[in-house]
Amino acid sequence: MQTFGNIKELIGSLKREEKLLSEMFSKRKTLNYTYDLALELVDFDETKIQHLIDKSVIRKNGNYLEIDEVYLQFFEQVLAVNEEINISYINDNIQAIKENIQYFFYASNERDKYKYLKFIKKTFRNIGAITLRNVVDLRRNIENTFKNEPNYKNKQSKLENLDKKRRAIIALVKQTELLIYQEELTFFKTAVDEELSSIIVGLKQELDESTHNLIAIEKQVINYLNQIKYQSGFLKKLRKIKYLKDQFTLRASTDIDAVLNSKNTLVFEPNPSYPVKLSLDQLVNDLEVFESIQKVATKVQTKKTFKPLLAEAIATDYLNTEIEEEILINLKEVISNFLSTGNNLFDFIMQYDFVKEVPFEERVTIYCQMISEYETELNIGQEHQSYKNIEYTMVYPK
Amino acid sequence: MNTTHYTSDIFEILSKGQFICSNSSDAFIRKLYGIIDEAQTFDSLYDYFYNINFILEKGNEYYLFTRKEPKVSLERKIEAAYKWIDIVDFFKTYNNSFVSGFKFTISEIDAQLSTNSDLKSKLEGLKKYTQKNSSHVAIISKIIDLLIKDNFIELQDDISNTYKVLASFNYLEELISTIHIPEEIADEIPE
Repeated sequence: MQTFGNIKELIGSLKREEKLLSEMFSKRKTLNYTYDLALELVDFDETKIQHLIDKSVIRKNGNYLEIDEVYLQFFEQVLAVNEEINISYINDNIQAIKENIQYFFYASNERDKYKYLKFIKKTFRNIGAITLRNVVDLRRNIENTFKNEPNYKNKQSKLENLDKKRRAIIALVKQTELLIYQEELTFFKTAVDEELSSIIVGLKQELDESTHNLIAIEKQVINYLNQIKYQSGFLKKLRKIKYLKDQFTLRASTDIDAVLNSKNTLVFEPNPSYPVKLSLDQLVNDLEVFESIQKVATKVQTKKTFKPLLAEAIATDYLNTEIEEEILINLKEVISNFLSTGNNLFDFIMQYDFVKEVPFEERVTIYCQMISEYETELNIGQEHQSYKNIEYTMVYPK
Repeated sequence: MNTTHYTSDIFEILSKGQFICSNSSDAFIRKLYGIIDEAQTFDSLYDYFYNINFILEKGNEYYLFTRKEPKVSLERKIEAAYKWIDIVDFFKTYNNSFVSGFKFTISEIDAQLSTNSDLKSKLEGLKKYTQKNSSHVAIISKIIDLLIKDNFIELQDDISNTYKVLASFNYLEELISTIHIPEEIADEIPE
């Protein structure tokens, strides 16, 4: 297996294929990153991919590519997105510290002592950082598992395993504390080093923080596990009840009647309506109500249009024109004729040749009409004469 | 102080057989929940409603009204409970974690129908509560409408059509949990 000759070459290679690697890293959860997809990202230059494969940065599996486990772990750890919680790492570190403390005591010269001390300092710093990181990872993993794991049994056992890890981390924190506070007191007294003390102070703080977080996590896990237990218990119960219901024996074999009898919840009732009469005052005075009335009115309007009532057709008989002729006497003509004579009016009318036959009585009427109509044009005298029992005034033209 | 400004709003909701849930998407309902949840207000509201024959009860993250005397017949209650058992069973088969706060869409359920024959047969069984001969999606949405009407779930987002299970769903779970199955009968039920 080829490896990189030095750091520079390694970083250079990673930098060159940064696009491909970041894409592959973001898709590391989906197992099928195909060779063709990768080719597009390196401008179809197969040698580039081959170079990475040769240096074991990526591995080729059939037509699929994946980032090598070593690099994947490195990226995940540095970017703090790792899902695995590795406790053995802390354990190893504690062992290493114990060993180095021992070497420190037996070392004969200052240079060696300094070398061991440096290692111990580095390891202590690591322990704090790793413990804290583990706690954060643990919390995230627990939440993710509870919220996203669809399988109930898996969810439960995953949470139980994470809870085991939590206990392991607590044990390690205790062990580290024991190391600082009790076991190696002589070492801390002997190795007077300012940096070491500040690292230890920092470590103590980190351990305290971790402990507090772990207590909170414990609560959370217990809560989650209880919820799961309740839910799975409920599911079992539900299945049984559903089974009995489908067998039509639910009422006979359980106390459902009593349970429901004791519940007078409103949910069981049909939705009530409370019809309230409208206030007449409001109907009359409120403008908003008026708008509502208009709206209702448009809805209520029927599509039917009312036909105006029609009278029956007029019978054709009525429409036939009937002519009735009546001969009227033109008084004006009579008077103008009279005025041109010297006769008296009564005699004139009695002898006048009308267009029709006019009886005596009518002629008398005409006489009277003439006098009243044309009084101003006639000279009405004082003398009277009588004719056929009628006494009449002598009238002459003026 | 006897009651709050919101007494009529609270009455309006609860008297319709609805719930006031702590996890409603409606900010006003959450506000009402907060108001009732104060011990002092709860006591005065309890007394107030008690006088008009409603008992204000606190459930797991929800409030509801119950009556002193039953108003509906046992048969009607049984009918409702049977319907809920079928519906809860269907949704629990769809997803074990169908609990208060769970979010889902109709299309998600529909997608699972094609791969889960158990779910499909249960959906067929729900046809009796909906119109016959309707499509799967139509049955699901009808069932969801039933639950929305009784205020157990709500439409949280009308753009993505996401529904959310309300805290009142706990009521259904509690109701089913309180039914006691005698041991000798429980033993006879196949797993």
